[in-house]
Amino acid sequence: MHNNAVAGIAPQFDDAVQQRTAANLGIWLFLATEILFFGVLFAAYAITRVRFPDAFAAASRLTNLPLAGVNTAVLITSSLSMALGVHAARHGARRALIGWLSLTVALGIAFLAIKAVEYRIDYLEHLVPKLDFRYEGSQADQVELFFYMYFFITGVHALHVLIGVGCIATIAVMASHDKFSPAYYTPVDVTGLYWHLVDVIWLFVFPILYLVSRS
Amino acid sequence: MTKHAETRPMVYILVWLALMVLLALTVGSAFMPLGRAHTPVNLAISVTQAALVMLFSMHLSAAHPLLRVIALIGFFGIAIMITLSLFDVLTR
Amino acid sequence: MNSAVITPNENIGPHESYLSAGWNWRSWLLTLDHKRIGILYVISITLLFGIGGAAAAMIRLDLLTPHSQLVSVETYNKLFTMHGVIMVWFFLIPSIPATLGNFLIPLMVGARDLAFPRLNLLSWYLFIFGGLFTIYALVSGGVDMGWTMYAPYSTSFSTSHVFAVATGVFIAGFSSILTGLNFIVTIHEMRAPGMTWFRLPLFIWAMYATSLILVLATPVLAMTLMLMGIERTFGIGVFDPAMGGDPLLFQHLFWFYSHPAVYIMVVPAMGVASEIISCFCRNPVFGYRFMAYAILAIAAFGFVVWGHHMFVSGQSAYAGTVFSLLTFLVSVPSAIKVFNWTATLYKAHISFQAPMLYALGFVGLFTIGGLTGLFLASLGLDVQLHDTYFVVAHFHYIMVGAAVMAFFGGIHFWWPKITGRMYPEGWARFCAILTFIGFNLTFFPQFILGYLGMPRRYPDYPPEFQVWNVLSSAGSSLLAFGYVLPLAYLLWSLKYGARAPANPWGAKGLEWQTDSPPPSENFHTTPIVTEEAYAYSQAESPHA
Repeated sequence: MHNNAVAGIAPQFDDAVQQRTAANLGIWLFLATEILFFGVLFAAYAITRVRFPDAFAAASRLTNLPLAGVNTAVLITSSLSMALGVHAARHGARRALIGWLSLTVALGIAFLAIKAVEYRIDYLEHLVPKLDFRYEGSQADQVELFFYMYFFITGVHALHVLIGVGCIATIAVMASHDKFSPAYYTPVDVTGLYWHLVDVIWLFVFPILYLVSRS
Repeated sequence: MTKHAETRPMVYILVWLALMVLLALTVGSAFMPLGRAHTPVNLAISVTQAALVMLFSMHLSAAHPLLRVIALIGFFGIAIMITLSLFDVLTR
Repeated sequence: MNSAVITPNENIGPHESYLSAGWNWRSWLLTLDHKRIGILYVISITLLFGIGGAAAAMIRLDLLTPHSQLVSVETYNKLFTMHGVIMVWFFLIPSIPATLGNFLIPLMVGARDLAFPRLNLLSWYLFIFGGLFTIYALVSGGVDMGWTMYAPYSTSFSTSHVFAVATGVFIAGFSSILTGLNFIVTIHEMRAPGMTWFRLPLFIWAMYATSLILVLATPVLAMTLMLMGIERTFGIGVFDPAMGGDPLLFQHLFWFYSHPAVYIMVVPAMGVASEIISCFCRNPVFGYRFMAYAILAIAAFGFVVWGHHMFVSGQSAYAGTVFSLLTFLVSVPSAIKVFNWTATLYKAHISFQAPMLYALGFVGLFTIGGLTGLFLASLGLDVQLHDTYFVVAHFHYIMVGAAVMAFFGGIHFWWPKITGRMYPEGWARFCAILTFIGFNLTFFPQFILGYLGMPRRYPDYPPEFQVWNVLSSAGSSLLAFGYVLPLAYLLWSLKYGARAPANPWGAKGLEWQTDSPPPSENFHTTPIVTEEAYAYSQAESPHA
């Protein structure tokens, strides 16, 4: 029959290669669902912006470009540390793996912290729709709609960052308990792919929200 | 499909560098008087950044074609969603 | 097929199987066996079908008279809403995929289980959790915005439990996504040696295409529901015309999912039909490759036609024209499939067991439903027919006439494999015919009503429409019998039905090469495939 239990292979699979391939295909399918999930937000934003280009341009100028720009750099760097972590896992470099994963977690938390600061500044500037929104210009309703989409999109993204941080921290703990080896580091690989996608999504979110009209 | 060819750490660092340069470019271009070209320029830079991450950090360059199709199909779906809906909005 | 596994008549009678492997709560509620999870789904969707059916019964009772006061107008709105919500998301979408798909896919490809058994169990729990939210909404007073949940009524004006239902459907959506993901990975990676893509049963091709739609379309629904729910909760959003938002934006996003969703409902039925028709014709399905490509084409084209639900909504006429053209195109692969099923019958050795009656009913009713879809795809005609009973009849011909008949056909066809028992053939044939007659009596008059101008979702109507409404309601009572009787005799057969051999129909397909019911690990040894699909010869005939 199948001595999978010995080799650490789940019983439905024939061998480690099949298991790894299945996991990889599975995570990419999941990532495709995430892309489409965010895609709805991009579509809603795009269509509303096409209908109110001036209001959205004016609104975008009120977003916090310096903080968001720093955050983009933070996320890009966290992607690098994650990639180096996966590389370490592949080579069985346990201490390096834990180090890179911890750095990624730290950068992820930094992203969220900066985001929180940014949200607080938005609140102090009365840019929170319904809760505390004040805009003395034309098309105030549509400017408020921009900020509704801004909070919605960045909020959903931040939630994904939070989940990612949780997953990476869990992987780091697993690594410290010696759960991974060059033969088996699938959870690291899969988490890495998720984290890179969260980065990719932000690379689109950032310009469409913050760079509409700065010149 | 699984044992992707080894990506050397230097590649990841170069990708990081490229992403940072592109970030500077996209922010910088926002302050230039490009008129209506802003959005296409920003989107083109985003697409380039996404391609770099997906090809190298996410190992698509060495992956089975099926994975590349799956990776792109989501973007393709969004494109259909936006294109046909915008076509409605713009021709009402 | 090299089946160094068992010969057809061995192992009839009680034997070790996935059913005997444990009988306590934990062995069922914590099972990782795809076959048991399939059964968990069957039980759940049957209960939900009962609730959705009860709502339909109330509607048809109320419509017996033109100005009925059986239920209040508000309650009537809630009845058709809950009927739609439950039947679409909690019955039809999971029906064939989560029951027959879960049970059969590993068996048909020669695997021991799906790729991710724990995700499979999680899918079922998510489905139950989502169902509970929806039932909560039902018992606390219902929802009244129609299953289509259009803004701004759903976001701004309805005072019913919209948020609870949206949450329930949102959660159930993740159940769909995980199921589709599991199926795609299984079909790609876990086929037995020799099982090449073009040796796969067409049921597998159908499940593959359905899974692609499940994975790609459902996330769009999830986010659209989230946008709607948040807008409703906070009183601000992009669908609100008072702020400059666009209600049509909701419709675009909603139908981007909901049109492919109807293919989630019908494509599996097409797969079931191919299996049954080939078996009871002793013929390979005509034009196997075209059938496979047609399934993929339907799935692909299904993503670009959603605007045909919006022809009179305020959508631009130019966009309407584009969507109309694309909708005509999507009918082509469906038509090819109907031609090929018909061609499979040509010079075939046909027998008319109950599954075949259901499958033939599927082909005929799908044809009518599909053709009337073309009526609706024509912009000019749709102006007259939109939001009338013509539309209601059209989609019920597809979703009930086609999809549910195929589902019942599949349940009967694979019942011996799933349970190890034969159902009573006489009763089953009777019910198949009763269902067919009841269905047509229920829904054909609705084409006429729609053509005459009766709007949908209205509890009152002009007296001259009454005769058609009465016919329709009478038909629905026959239909109800046609659905309840199988429940009775199928349950009866679990204890008293004749024990089934491994292959009572003499069908081709790996699932028939193992015991009825199968062992937990599906096959005693991994099968090796050497035959093409549907390698029937005219000499054999089905036994039962």
